Amino acid sequence: MDGVLIGNRMVGTQSPVTIGWENIPKVEGGPVKQFVFTWFQPTVLFALLAFWYYAPNSIATASTAIGIGIGFRAFLMVLEWVNPRFKSWHLTWKELVTDLFYVGFTYTLLRIVDLYIGSDALIASAQQHLHLEKFAWFTGLPLLVQALAISLIFDFGQYWMHRGMHNWYPLWLPHSVHHYITQLNINKGAVGNPVELFLIGLGIGGLFDFVPRAFLLAGTFGLAVGTYQHINVRFNSPKWWRFLFTTTEHHSLHHSQDYESTRCNYAGSFIFIDRIFGTCIDGEAELLGMEGGRRMTVREQMTYPFTEGWKAIKERFGASPAAVPAE
Amino acid sequence: MNLRFIDWIWHVRGSLALAPGQSSEDAFEKLDPLFHEIGTSHERANGMLAFRKKDQPAQDKMAVFDSGVLRIEKGAAGSVLHYHLISRALLFCFVLVPLFLGIAQLTIVVGKYQKPPAEAATKKPAAKVAVVALNPIDKALGAPAPEKPRNGADKPGARNKKPSATSAYVFAGMFAVLYVIGRILEDWLVKRLFRKRLLGA
Repeated sequence: MDGVLIGNRMVGTQSPVTIGWENIPKVEGGPVKQFVFTWFQPTVLFALLAFWYYAPNSIATASTAIGIGIGFRAFLMVLEWVNPRFKSWHLTWKELVTDLFYVGFTYTLLRIVDLYIGSDALIASAQQHLHLEKFAWFTGLPLLVQALAISLIFDFGQYWMHRGMHNWYPLWLPHSVHHYITQLNINKGAVGNPVELFLIGLGIGGLFDFVPRAFLLAGTFGLAVGTYQHINVRFNSPKWWRFLFTTTEHHSLHHSQDYESTRCNYAGSFIFIDRIFGTCIDGEAELLGMEGGRRMTVREQMTYPFTEGWKAIKERFGASPAAVPAE
Repeated sequence: MNLRFIDWIWHVRGSLALAPGQSSEDAFEKLDPLFHEIGTSHERANGMLAFRKKDQPAQDKMAVFDSGVLRIEKGAAGSVLHYHLISRALLFCFVLVPLFLGIAQLTIVVGKYQKPPAEAATKKPAAKVAVVALNPIDKALGAPAPEKPRNGADKPGARNKKPSATSAYVFAGMFAVLYVIGRILEDWLVKRLFRKRLLGA
């Protein structure tokens, strides 16, 4: 298969990919549909930012944020039916059950783990040991500046964690499971080995939780930008949007069956971080997955990093050849 | 216990009358493309087709089933296709209901044993919130000023430090509904798929 040369890398030699915005299909339909699917993403982002900025304290709560998050995701699932990007990514009952199992896992068991040994515990510990009053200058900044800073710090950390996962075998093992998905849907971001879900949940943003409203604003970037990484909806995202933010196109390429294409677009929300570090490719892919599209069972998703890790350890430090009995 | 009384949970059985005059050979030929998907192996002999799927991709129209047997029998009213399909996904969804109910119980137990440190964790940072003042720009733009922290877990933007069993119960309910939908939907979809194939050109 002929590939496309981008810089010093050849992408799309193992599986078809589309490179360049000019080659990516546009939303089909009348002017109203075109308008809606062009301006939906920016409108939601700015509307949510305005909501969290001006909402009275009684409404600006964590539970409102959870409610909005669930409602927004449910709405996006409807959009997946209305305007799918690819028919081959159509959400089936089995995929929905598997995705929701991981969402449920994250919301319940993983939350308990996080509370005691994960990011919440680390933050509580850090708050006890660091003199956080020294960060008071930060909480005196305008809310939107704080929110943007929190999002950027978090996404910058996630970028390097994600890039590390693609470049260091012990981190790749838990992350690899997520790359066996063969289609993108709204809840696919939750699919992965629990070790990875735990690692990805570790964030340092919580260190700054002095001004809760700034956190709610920061969360908006995750919800109204990061969520689109895994979605089966065709948008005509405005140029400035796709320059700044990670889109489904970027992330689908990252999930391509073509190995070289997976080594790009690591950022979760702010694709310009990839642009800065030279790992951004503007393009998309329909054929996703690993090993030619083999879909792992949930059981294998749970055990794969451990079984493969054990194999790797045995290969490296394996028992020496059987001793030859002395004659 | 005879497993047959409960195996309807993950076994889908059904039958479909073939068109008058349609031979079993012709019927299997028409169904044949369904069993040439990635990860699917099948055997055909004596009016029977047995298939097995491993790591089938989501794009496989029969991805929800892992194995099955299709049999064509001749009756007085003509030939009938009988199928018996096995789905681990249906069983998985069914099992998720008690699993999440169990997680809810576990959350309650953990909450009881870990209550003191969890409460301590919520109180500590709350004291620091009191010193925060709104930036003049935000004041000018009309953003509400932060209020003094309350002792509740639901203060603005606060992380809920006490694990709640509610989400586990919600997911248990969701999977119960999803199971009922899936058991009816997948039964109907596979029948429609076979019918379309058999009647198709």
